Amino acid sequence: MVGNSAENPNYNFGIVKAFAICAVVYLIVGALVGDLIAWQLSFPALNFNEYLSFGRLRPLHTNAVIFAFGGCTLMATAFYVVQRTCAIPLWSNGLAWFTFWGWNLIIVAAVISFPMGWTQGKEYAELEWPVDIAIAVVWLSYMFNFVMTIANRKSSHIYVANWFFLGMMVMITYLHVVNSLAIPVTMTKSYSLFSGVQDAMIQWWWGHNAVGFFLTAGFLGIMYYFIPKQANLPIFSYRLSVLHFWALMFGYVWLGAHHLQYTALPDWAGSLGAAVSIAMIIPSWGGAINGLMTLSGAWHKLRDDYVLRFLVVSLAFYAMSTFEGPVMSLKTVNALSHYTDWTIGHVHSGALGWVAMVSIGAIYHLVTRLWKTEIHSVPLVNSHFWIHTIGTVIYICAMWVSGIMQGLMWRATDDYGNLVYTFAETVVAMHPYYVLRSVGGLLVLLGAVIMLYNIVMTIRGAGQPKAAAQAARAARA
Amino acid sequence: MNSLSEYLHTDWEAMTRADWTGLIIVLVLTALMVVLYTWIFRPSNREKFEQYRDFVNDDEDVKREVGHGQTK
Repeated sequence: MVGNSAENPNYNFGIVKAFAICAVVYLIVGALVGDLIAWQLSFPALNFNEYLSFGRLRPLHTNAVIFAFGGCTLMATAFYVVQRTCAIPLWSNGLAWFTFWGWNLIIVAAVISFPMGWTQGKEYAELEWPVDIAIAVVWLSYMFNFVMTIANRKSSHIYVANWFFLGMMVMITYLHVVNSLAIPVTMTKSYSLFSGVQDAMIQWWWGHNAVGFFLTAGFLGIMYYFIPKQANLPIFSYRLSVLHFWALMFGYVWLGAHHLQYTALPDWAGSLGAAVSIAMIIPSWGGAINGLMTLSGAWHKLRDDYVLRFLVVSLAFYAMSTFEGPVMSLKTVNALSHYTDWTIGHVHSGALGWVAMVSIGAIYHLVTRLWKTEIHSVPLVNSHFWIHTIGTVIYICAMWVSGIMQGLMWRATDDYGNLVYTFAETVVAMHPYYVLRSVGGLLVLLGAVIMLYNIVMTIRGAGQPKAAAQAARAARA
Repeated sequence: MNSLSEYLHTDWEAMTRADWTGLIIVLVLTALMVVLYTWIFRPSNREKFEQYRDFVNDDEDVKREVGHGQTK
């Protein structure tokens, strides 16, 4: 028994509110920049100048969606879940607000530095060394506050969602520090401490684990709290959740090498990465099934529960992308898929389908509880769900078709061993799918704008008597 | 590749210290994973874990939420 309710005035929900609002704003920023660069790929004339060129805006998009939107979502939910499941307020409110302002300053630094072209050129770790140091400090403040809250908990048990959050925090700390080791030359330029294939391996050890821990483990923490909570049902199997956690922690750090098949990396390292990738299907699907089976016997809830719909569909995308990834890591498949748009399609089925949808569900769940009101418009949430889902499906299908076609055209040879297609011909063939991808991205952006409007209206109406009466009616029902 | 044995052939003499270190780590982790699966799925441990299935709803046993989009 946890023994506390959301009414407990000691809980620091102010920090959760701040991070939740930032997450929605950054979702729009990230999707806006993402869609702009998608249109730039379709129509290169949209690269107006060097500051707004694809090469400089692309890292801004990835950092905005992963670290700004994803990071703020993780911080909002981790701070909420740890308080609710440990039955005590955060260990330090001051430290929590330091994390908030520090994280937002880092995001501002990214918004300035990427258009200026200040980058280390390492994927998902482009920020230069002064910002890397700031990230380490702010991240440690987040982790320390979380750990100390758990250490002072009133409940005897540490709920599995907290294990996932903590695993993410520990792993990201050392992955970020090691991958960011660099020799500074000026304030805006540094060179990696590693070189050649070692640099590539360290980079993808980080790169895949940014996906594995930041975008998977942390969001599984969200899933394990918000699905049973929103469904009002016990999790299908707690044993499976424990297995899911430890298997993920043991396994994920080995996968990075599968990004470097057919390179200077030793062959065995790529094979090991692929073998562990395949093994990871078991815990990943175990976790997805665990979340889905929580609704066993109560599937009717999906008909009316606008939050649960986002959470459950996110799990379907999680299952799909955690099967697709291992298949793509196999050398035979990788020979076709690598360096093509198939990879982009795969990443976005995880990012838009899994990460974004589980985050959106969690944020809708949080907003009405934190502001003690009901959502402004359920039809708008439903519209958001369908627009986002359709946009995601259009995006990933376009990239699958484009990527597989691209790979097949690159390696097509005639009877004499000559390439059948020039590179320019493959680019022309991909153009319709690039336009389609941009349309998909536009729908996702539209959905995010609807979400922001709905949340702003919900918050604005929260203090009004009508909302209080509405909330009281819901509580009595 | 002619046969499975050829595919799996390993030149043990050529193994470096790094190779052995990596191999040992992989084997240790594999053994730990087997222990983990056995521990978690052991029938006698079932209740030990499953008592926490409804942990997140325990704080509102009396008045489970029905607002905020939730249905009964």
